[in-house]
This record gives sequence, structure tokens and C-alpha cells, in this order.
Amino acid sequence: MTQLTVTAQKRPNPYLSIDSLDPESELMLLHFGPQHPSTHGVFRMDLYLDGEIIVKAVPHCGYLHRAVEKLCEKLSYVQLTPIVDKNDYVAPMTNEQAIVMACEAMLKLEVPRRARWMRALFAELQRIASHLLAIGTFCLDLGGALGGGSTAFIYCFRERELILDLFEDVTGARFHYNTHTIGGNRHDLPAGWGAKVKAVLDVIEARMPEYAALTIENRIFQQRTKNVGVLDGELALELGVTGPNLRASGIDHDLRRDAPFHAYDEVKVNVAVATGGDCYARSIVRVAEVKESLRLCRAFLDGMPEGPINSGKPTKLTVQTKIPAGQVYVGIETPRGELGTWLITDGTQNAYRLKIRPPSLHALSALPYILPGYTVSDAVAILGSLDPIMGEVDR
Amino acid sequence: MNEFLQGGLYGGGIIVAIMSSLLFVLWTERKMAARMQSRIGPTFTDPLGFLQAPADVLKLLQKEDIIPEKADRALFNNAPLLGATVAIAGAAVVPFSATIVGADLEVGVLYLLAVGALGVLPVFAAGWGSNNKFALLGAMRAIAQSVSYEVPLVLAALVPVILAGSMKLSDIVAYQSSHHWLVVWPFFLGIPAFGLFMLAMLAESNRIPFDIPEAESELVAGITTEYTGMKFGLFYMAEYLHTVIASAVASALFLGGYDGPIAPGLWWMVLKTGLLVVAIYWLRWSLLRFRSDQLMALCWRWLVPSGVVLVVGAAVWVVFAG
Amino acid sequence: MAVTPPPLRTVDTGAGFRHPLYQVMLETPGLTVGTAALDDLLSWGLTKAMWIFPMATSCCGIEFMATAASRVDIDRMGVIVRATPRQADVMVVAGTITTKMAPRVLKLWEQMPEPKWCIAMGSCAISGDFYRNLYSVVPGIDTFLPVDVYVPGCPPNPEALMHGMMRLQEKIQRQRKGENVVPELNPDLLKITQPSVPRLNEATRSPTQTLEQERASENPTLDEETDPLVVPPSEPAPGLAPLVGADFQALLIELGVAELPKDGPPVIPAAQHLELARRLKGLGYRQLVTIAASHWPAGKGRKGADAAEVEHHEIAYALRTVGPGSRLASWAVKVPVAEPVLTLAGVFAGADWQEREQFDLVGVRFAGHPDLRRIMQTENATTHPLRREFPADAHLAPWR
Repeated sequence: MTQLTVTAQKRPNPYLSIDSLDPESELMLLHFGPQHPSTHGVFRMDLYLDGEIIVKAVPHCGYLHRAVEKLCEKLSYVQLTPIVDKNDYVAPMTNEQAIVMACEAMLKLEVPRRARWMRALFAELQRIASHLLAIGTFCLDLGGALGGGSTAFIYCFRERELILDLFEDVTGARFHYNTHTIGGNRHDLPAGWGAKVKAVLDVIEARMPEYAALTIENRIFQQRTKNVGVLDGELALELGVTGPNLRASGIDHDLRRDAPFHAYDEVKVNVAVATGGDCYARSIVRVAEVKESLRLCRAFLDGMPEGPINSGKPTKLTVQTKIPAGQVYVGIETPRGELGTWLITDGTQNAYRLKIRPPSLHALSALPYILPGYTVSDAVAILGSLDPIMGEVDR
Repeated sequence: MNEFLQGGLYGGGIIVAIMSSLLFVLWTERKMAARMQSRIGPTFTDPLGFLQAPADVLKLLQKEDIIPEKADRALFNNAPLLGATVAIAGAAVVPFSATIVGADLEVGVLYLLAVGALGVLPVFAAGWGSNNKFALLGAMRAIAQSVSYEVPLVLAALVPVILAGSMKLSDIVAYQSSHHWLVVWPFFLGIPAFGLFMLAMLAESNRIPFDIPEAESELVAGITTEYTGMKFGLFYMAEYLHTVIASAVASALFLGGYDGPIAPGLWWMVLKTGLLVVAIYWLRWSLLRFRSDQLMALCWRWLVPSGVVLVVGAAVWVVFAG
Repeated sequence: MAVTPPPLRTVDTGAGFRHPLYQVMLETPGLTVGTAALDDLLSWGLTKAMWIFPMATSCCGIEFMATAASRVDIDRMGVIVRATPRQADVMVVAGTITTKMAPRVLKLWEQMPEPKWCIAMGSCAISGDFYRNLYSVVPGIDTFLPVDVYVPGCPPNPEALMHGMMRLQEKIQRQRKGENVVPELNPDLLKITQPSVPRLNEATRSPTQTLEQERASENPTLDEETDPLVVPPSEPAPGLAPLVGADFQALLIELGVAELPKDGPPVIPAAQHLELARRLKGLGYRQLVTIAASHWPAGKGRKGADAAEVEHHEIAYALRTVGPGSRLASWAVKVPVAEPVLTLAGVFAGADWQEREQFDLVGVRFAGHPDLRRIMQTENATTHPLRREFPADAHLAPWR
């Protein structure tokens, strides 16, 4: 057959038709998904394979399209938080915050300082939990469910359960917390909770070297991830890739520091940046962010101010609440990147249009560019390292 | 008693013994993996989950047998049987004690290598016959891997052959009990050759922890994707059988086989084999999976040259020091 | 959180048909004891080694993974998670099943060998939960799959799933003994018939309203607590104010937009919008943030009811600078519904998927887009569900 000129270094053109790549139709088309152990939910990639080398990749999403945006148009503002909880179901806290902050911006509500610190603390704890899951499932992709990968996965889940317990103490739910309201928080921190958090943080900190030995310091892990799935920084920006995936491509950008929200303007946030742009860089950025989040959690706990946890308005906010006509965009840094809410209101009790900007969708849109030239095994690693959550990709 | 009858009796006995040891191996693996992962492992099948393997088999026996419409029926149906047969065939020449040996062939090591090379056939038959793309990819990987690892396997197996001066496994064991175990002296030949042999033996037949053709996170279930019920059960069994027999062969070739003080030979053989099996599963549950081409690079870049060096070293040792 | 299901009930089926051979078998000494013991053994095997095929789509999938992890450890029951349906006994449907996914779920179910069982985990799988009336979600998987055990919750705790597995074990054992096990009822059966979306703006009573709620809505004196917050709409929304940097404002003046609108991003003539994007990229706005299109029917615009407005789309774009002090630049393009908008995909590669999504959901056409296919709905879908006239409370879902 004709010689295929696909290299991982050059930015491939994802719009080339398969006929031009493969005039004699000798490639194998592999439908990777929508149900596959390593697609992190329901996601499909059509991989055109030359042997095991991917020549062209066509991602298909929408298998979990739950019409959240349509539903949000029909609900009153106070009813939105439990709905958006389910979008990024690995980090529900930050979902709530994004939507609540958009409503607060429209209503010009001043959020009390304690509530902002609590939100920041929740966001950081959620970041640890989410990154633990990301690292764990990534190892599961690399090592398989019947092998070393599952060991790393289960260790990560063991620690994640500790954080879920903390959230359960505050909100009563393991996830889908519904703890943020417009203007503040619904649940105050229970007595003695800070000590519990510190104990959990100590446990996780003490076990960090263990995960590092299993993952980023492991030779096989490094071999599997280094120089695999290289995402160029400029391309990442164009695609709108955010969060750890962007920072792994050498772009020093973190909304926590660059456009502070919550209480991030009152503490110093160190941003982890790596230059490789490959799966390994994405992994070490996540591990570094867990370490940074551990530090931030302690800072937020120590400096937690006293005072009210909501602006007093939420008691009056009901399904009847109307928001004046206008448009607002609020973007916050979630574990996966910039989660944005574009809220268009028309003065009634319902949002006129609510567009959620999911970081995972942008991360996945990099796949047609970075997959060609790698093998099927690498495709699994690349997809896992981007850490997509299908709930927010498809919404 | 003629030889035929004796062979049949011994062979039957060995097969039954190994099959029943599988129950224990399976239980050990699941419990060990669970403890490594801070879990408990099977407990619902008393006592201590020990009956988990029989429950699995009973369940698999009751499942519907599905043959995909466009599968190659002959290949698809015979591959699991062939797989289990080939996996257990190696046990024929392994001396479990001074007297318990199925067939003490003059060319025992050669037979082992031949049987090992056959191991790729059922894998390929399953992958090709399933008419499934994931299975086909698995088969492609399996063939490349098997052919590559044949070379270091032969080289590593040559080291004890050269040192002991015989291809008969019982002779090799006898040599070790009269001199030293090969991993003890000459350890600079024995230990690397032992490691190389274990690596190559497991990789050559695509077994744990080199089960890349069955990589379930990439290829769903690899070559076994389309297999249901007991056909899958046979593959599952073959995998464990092969681990046990590879461990037994390695302990005969390098660890002195049934040689050991005080206790009778069979106990030593069981102990050594068991420890090797545990070591293999320990590795399996703590390491990630290689990529196919990396495993191949490892073979041709490192294992084959070091195998050649070991063989030359063994020859030199025999001429000048032995 | 897990609702205790009703206990399994047995019904005496009475004397049925008896084959003559059956009598012979009954009378053969030892045969019944032997077969009964064998049957017990087989059903013991079935229940103690249930391998799961995880149909994990969303949130419940995470709790399913937690069930396999060390705290609950479903391996205690001898459960292994198999990735291929051919080797599984139980399909755990964990998560929302959409109309796009449902045919695949059915296909996977059909590929599982008998005997097989199905567990509906979580309220989405049971009834579709609050998505159930929306256009893309299947209202409960029992519309197309035979469900054996329902595990309610949103999501159910790992312990609840374990309990569900144990209920399934009990069910299998009793079925194998010949007892007639009454099928579990869908715990959300009554809710499925009700709309998931409360009808706020309708005068008629919502079926979900309780009597108190209804009375409260009728009686205005009780409404003191629900005094709606109203902010004077004269000032710009604060979320947009810091978005406009000086460089962006200068560009806008150059393009003829002298004054920033108070109620949203500045509207740029459609012909200049590509040029603006290029210039902004040169100014350092290198990151594509989002593209959000909205549909405005005739007589409605940003300022509310406005008879001068024709039916139009408003497509809002946002770009960002990277690094400390990140600034956002956002603008909007307003076009009548029939007219396409120039694509941004040539300037920002990421606009590809964003524009596909807006095309799929809102119905905006992007001229020059390299690959304008549907992305969320199936390829053969005909509707654009985020248009205003499309009903949210859709009873047109194909799965009911």
C-alpha cells in the first residue's frame, strides 16, 4: 500500500478524508466505544488503523447528552444547583460554584467572606478527590483491571473515600451535594470538622510518596507516558484546552491565580507547569496540584474567618426569584480546567439560555490532532491522561 | 508393569494433582491481590472464600455457549481446548521428585521449548477465528511477542543444558544436587539465566504479567473477547496452568528441582514452585502493562544479547572452570 | 438513601401439568435427592460467581467503581468486572441512558449469554430522573430491558449496590427452587407519568405540587417570604465589566462600536467578526473560551419584548489572554435565522466542535465550517432542541 506520512510531531490535518489517506482502503476501522473499559464513560472514537498505528481518529460524543441546558431553561434559579451537580460528576462542588457565581454576578450579591473561604476550601478538597480519581483511572487504563493498574486505582479510591466522608459530614451526601446557594452556602461547617480534615490531609500527604512510586516514578509508567500524546501549547490554546492539560503543555495559566475568585486573591497559589505536553507531563502536573491543594486546604482551614455563611438573601430566594435581563460569563478553575457559565436572562424566573463551557469537551477536541501516529495502547493512555468526564462533555 | 501403563498412571496423576492445585493457586492469587489492595477478597464462599474457584467453574459451565455467526467455527471451537492442552503438556517432562515424572525424555528441554512454541497457536486461532477486531489485534500482538521471545527462551534454557551437559531434566536436577543449585553457583550465570528464562517463558506464551494480547483496558478482553462460558474458562485455566508449570520448570532447571535437605523431594518441588507462583502474581499486581512494541524492543535490544552472552559464558565456564 | 424494597413474595402456583416421566423420576429412590442436591449446587455456583458487565455511563458509574474499591469491595461476593459482555452474568446499568446510547445498550444486552440478569442502578436508569421528559433521555431502562433488581438513589451508595446484588442472589436462588418470585416493581413507577420539569409559568396546578404548595401559591399573603429580588437593570452586569480591556475597547471603537452595551457583549457586524477575532488573537487573546449561541424569536430581543426584532440568532464569542491578570474579550454577532455566520474554525481550531454543538442544538449555520455535523444528537436528528419553540417537556421521546 502507499506509504503513510503520518508523524506525531507535525500537526495533522483532521479534515483529510480517509480516502485520500488510504486510497486502496487497506486500513482497519476500529470502533473504540461507546462502551469500552477505557473510554471513561460513553465515548466513541473511530480509529483508522494501519496495523496498530492510528492514521486518523474521529471522535464522536453525545452518548450522554442529557439536555441539561434545555432543562435549566425551564427551572428557576434556585433549582439549578442540583441539576448542574451531575455535569462533572467527579467534581460536583465546582459545578455548583460556577452556576451560583453566575447568578450572584447578575444579582450583584455580596457573598460573605466566610462563605467564599468555605467555597475555596471545598474546591480544593474536591480538586484532591478529583485528581486522585484521575490518576487512579489513568493507571487503570495503563495497567488493566487485572493487574498493577487496579492496585494504584484502589489506593487512590481509598483516599478519595476519606474526602467524600468529609463532604458527607458537611452536606449529608457523598456527592451531588447541593450545598451552594445563590449568595452563600447552605450548610455551615460542623463542630470539630477542621480537625478531621487535617487528619485526612495528613494521611493523604503521608501516602503521596506511595502513589508517586506506583505512578510517576515507576519506570514502566514513564515508558508508557513519556513522549506519548504530545499536545503543543499553541494548539492547546487554540482549542481552548484548559486546566492541568494546558499547564502540562508549558502554558502558565491558572484562573485561581490569574483571575481570582472565591478567596484565591487572599492566598498565594503556586501553579504547577510542565513543558513536555505529553501524558507524563499531564500526570506530574496533577500530582503536583494535589500537593499544592493539600497546602491550600491547610491555609484555608487555618484562616477560615468567622461570620455569616450567606448574604441573608437565600432565605428569601425561592422559585419566584427573578433576575433582571442581561448576560454574564463566569469562568472558574475546576480540577479539569475552566468551567464557564454563560447565563442569558430575560427578567423572568427562568434562565433564557444557559451555556455551560465544559473543560472536558475542549480537551477531547484535541484528540484528532494528537492521536495519529500512536498505537491503540497509546490511544488509551492519551484519552486517560486528558481526564475527560463525559457528563460535562455531553451535558 | 509396562511403560505405557506407568506413563498413563503418572501422567493422569500429575494432571489431576496440578488441576487441583489450581484451586489453591486461584484462591491464593485473589486473596493476595486483595490484601495488596487493602481489600479482603472473596468471603461469601466459605471457608474464607476458598470455594470461589469451584463456584466460578460451576457458573461457567452453566452459561450459554455463543458462537458468533461469522466466526471460523473450527478454529473458534478448538482454540480453548488446544490452549489448555498445550499449557499442561509441559508438565509431562518435569521431574516433581526423583520418581514422579511423567516421561523422563532424553530431550526434555527440547520438548519443553517445542511445547512452549505451540502456545501461540491457540492464541492465534482464537484471535483469528473470533472474527472480532479486538481479538484480531490481540492475535497480532501475540504472534509478534511469541516469535520474539522464543529466542531468549532458548538461549536461557541452554545455560543449564550446557552446564549440566544433558537435555534431560532429571539429569539437570541430579547435576544440581551433586554440585550446586545453578542460582547458587555459578551465580553470575545462574541468576541472570533464571531471570531471563522466567521472563521469556511468561512473555512467550503471553501470560501474566505480559498478557498484552489480552489487555482488557485496551482490547476489551483481547483474544477471549468473543468467548463465553467454559470456553473462556479453559483459557482462564490455561493461564493459571501455564504459570504453575513455568514455575515448576524454572525451579527444576535453576533452583535445584526436588533437591533439598530433610523433607522429601516432592515437598521441596512444591515449595519452590509455589514461591515462584507467588512472586509472579506479586509482580502482576504491582506493575503496569508494557506496550507491545516496548516489550519487543526489550527483547531484541536487551534480552537476546544478554542471552547470547550467557550462553557463551556458560560454554567458557564449562571448558575452563567446570 | 436506599429505599428498602418490598420483600420478595412467593405465590403458590397450584397443581400444574405433570408428565408421566416426572412420576417415574419421583419414585426412583435417591434420584430426587440427587437432582435436588445437584440443582442446589448449580444455583450456588450461579449466585456466588456473578460477573458484572458495567454499563457505567455517568455518576452512578463512579459509585460503581467505589463499590469495587477497597471500602465496600464487591470482590467479597466473588464478583469480577468483565469488560466484554460475553463473559458477564449481570449487567449493571449505572447512569443515564440516552436515546443515542439505548440501541447500543440493547445490543450489548443481547450479546450476553444466558442466564443473565440486569440491575438498574440509580434513578436515571430506573426512571430517567429529572431528565425523563427531555428529548434525549430514555425514561427508565425497563422500557427496553428486563430489569431484575432496582437500586434506587442518586447515586446509590456503594452499600446499596451491594445490597442490590444480594437481593439478586436471593432472587436467583428462589427462582431456581421453583418458587414464583414476584418481579420487583419500579420504585419510580408513579413518578414516570409526571412531568419532571415543574411548570412555573402555567396557571394550572402542577401535578407535583402538594396541597400546601398549591395553597401557598394561591394565597398572596403567604408570599412575603418569597419577595423576588429585583436589581435595577440600568448598570452593566458586573460579570462583564472587567471583561473589556483597554486594547479590546480600542479595537471596538475602530470597528465603529463606540459605546459598550449595558446588557451583554458588544454586537459586531457579521462581516467584521472574523477580522476582529484575528486582530484579537494578535493582541494576545490566544485562548478560545467559548461560543454560545442563543435563539430569539420574532418580537423578542435583549431588552425584552421588542416588536422591531425579527427572529434571529445571537452568537456570543469569548477569548482570553493567558497568564496573570487574564482578560476576557467577548463579542456577539446577530444574524437572522436563515443566514449563516462565518466560521471561526480557521482562526481557532477549537471553534470546530463549539460551532458543531451550536449548530446541533441551536440550529445556527456556520459558513465555511470544514465539518459541520451534528455532535450531541444522532446524525439523523432533525430538530434543534435549544430553539425557544422546542418543548422541554417533550412527550415526543421515541422511547415512551
